[in-house]
Amino acid sequence: MNNDPTLTLDWATGEPVYEQIADQIRDRIAAGDLPPGHALPPVRTLASDLGVNLNTVARAYRQLEEQGFVLIRDRAGAEVAAPAATADPDSLERLRHELRDVLQRMRQAGVTPDEIRGAVESIVARTDRAPRR
Amino acid sequence: MPAKLLFLVMLLENVLIGGVFFLYPWIVRKGLLFGVYVGEEAFDSAAARALTRRWYRGVLAALVVSLAVGSSLSLATENPLALVVPITIQVLGFFGLYLWAYRRARRLAPAGPPPAAVAPLVTTPPPNPLLPALTIAVGVACGTFAIAYAWSHYDALPASVPTHFGISGEPDAWRPKSIPTVMLLPMMVLLLAVGLGGMAWLTANAKRGLRRFDKGASLAAQMRFRTAMTRFLCGTAVFTSAMLTTMSVSIIQVSLGRASALGRWEMGLTGLLMLWAIGGTVYLALRYGQGGSRIERAGVTTPLTDGLADNRNWVLGMFYVNRNDPSFLVERRFGLGYTLNFGNWKAVALFVAFIAAIGALVIVAATTN
Repeated sequence: MNNDPTLTLDWATGEPVYEQIADQIRDRIAAGDLPPGHALPPVRTLASDLGVNLNTVARAYRQLEEQGFVLIRDRAGAEVAAPAATADPDSLERLRHELRDVLQRMRQAGVTPDEIRGAVESIVARTDRAPRR
Repeated sequence: MPAKLLFLVMLLENVLIGGVFFLYPWIVRKGLLFGVYVGEEAFDSAAARALTRRWYRGVLAALVVSLAVGSSLSLATENPLALVVPITIQVLGFFGLYLWAYRRARRLAPAGPPPAAVAPLVTTPPPNPLLPALTIAVGVACGTFAIAYAWSHYDALPASVPTHFGISGEPDAWRPKSIPTVMLLPMMVLLLAVGLGGMAWLTANAKRGLRRFDKGASLAAQMRFRTAMTRFLCGTAVFTSAMLTTMSVSIIQVSLGRASALGRWEMGLTGLLMLWAIGGTVYLALRYGQGGSRIERAGVTTPLTDGLADNRNWVLGMFYVNRNDPSFLVERRFGLGYTLNFGNWKAVALFVAFIAAIGALVIVAATTN
């Protein structure tokens, strides 16, 4: 049971709890800490461990399911989904749109193109460590 | 002589309870001082150690006073009500001392933002998933048998039935025969067996509390403690079911004149249940400590998290109240075992319904002629 990944909620940040949960699970999946098929705790267990409402965890899991990160298995909980073998054209177009939006906001915030490239490369390198189908 | 013997038993019980109170600060999770999360550093401070020393002295004083009063009463009177005086002194002394220590410990609690909530992203299957279910099944079988046995003999019972037995096992109180009087114990078998089995199931599925940055060591320790606690509760439930069922059958036999007193089985099972309860509690405390504190990595310094560390969710360090938390049971901060989440209305309703059902059975049996 050693080196188990954990999820941490920081009450001091203004970030909604369900987003903190979804963000951290996404990060863990992208980094390969949670491989495809890994069983996540059932909604009730995770809500109980964190001391938060059931709906908060359910909302985070639903968001992760919509984004293709997890598969929800009824009452048994959820498991990490394997990344798609090829990108679906519609999804690709939508994600490109979102990426462009983020990059434009970064430029507007004063981030230089080199800094953007560096940030993107470090994220890609990190996600490359995750096992793929 | 029986009265003197009962006093002796009560005084022995006093010593045992005093011993358990004495153990409490020794078995708690590091960082928790008299129901308050003070942090791992403050837990080892001189102020915390001084407070704990005063606790030990206070428990010892309460024990000595209760034993002295109990011994004097045993010589002065044979009134059975006097039996409860020493234990009352002991328990009141404990709560007074606890509240005093709790208030002192509050001063050592860290100021600042609430501690982070941390949860493992792994599933840990409940320990012994079948054991609580089997325990409930055994309890239901025992209860159903006891009810059926009492019902099938009801017409043959005499006008008065024994309702209380002395230490020798012979009846010393009778009441007129009625369905509530005859059915009280068999119904109690069913209720207690299901209640204790249910508690074991809830314990197996209680909130998990862990430390940050310890690579799962505290979680592993807690799961071992939980497994042992679940087994202990299941054993208690099975012993209780067996003891009450044989007693229920024996009472019918005594009522019908087929026996003059409770038999060896009932007395033996009662003794075994007491040994199991006392021995099991002491074993769990010494072997595991509260929540597995004694098998956590030695010299632990990593901080406890939300459920146990957030002082805002605890009233007097004893009552966990968190409306957002769906947990039924959470680990106690002071003492051994688990406590109810009083912020969860379902948990409170279940607890109240259980107590009300037992209370209703006793009241109906006591008021029916």
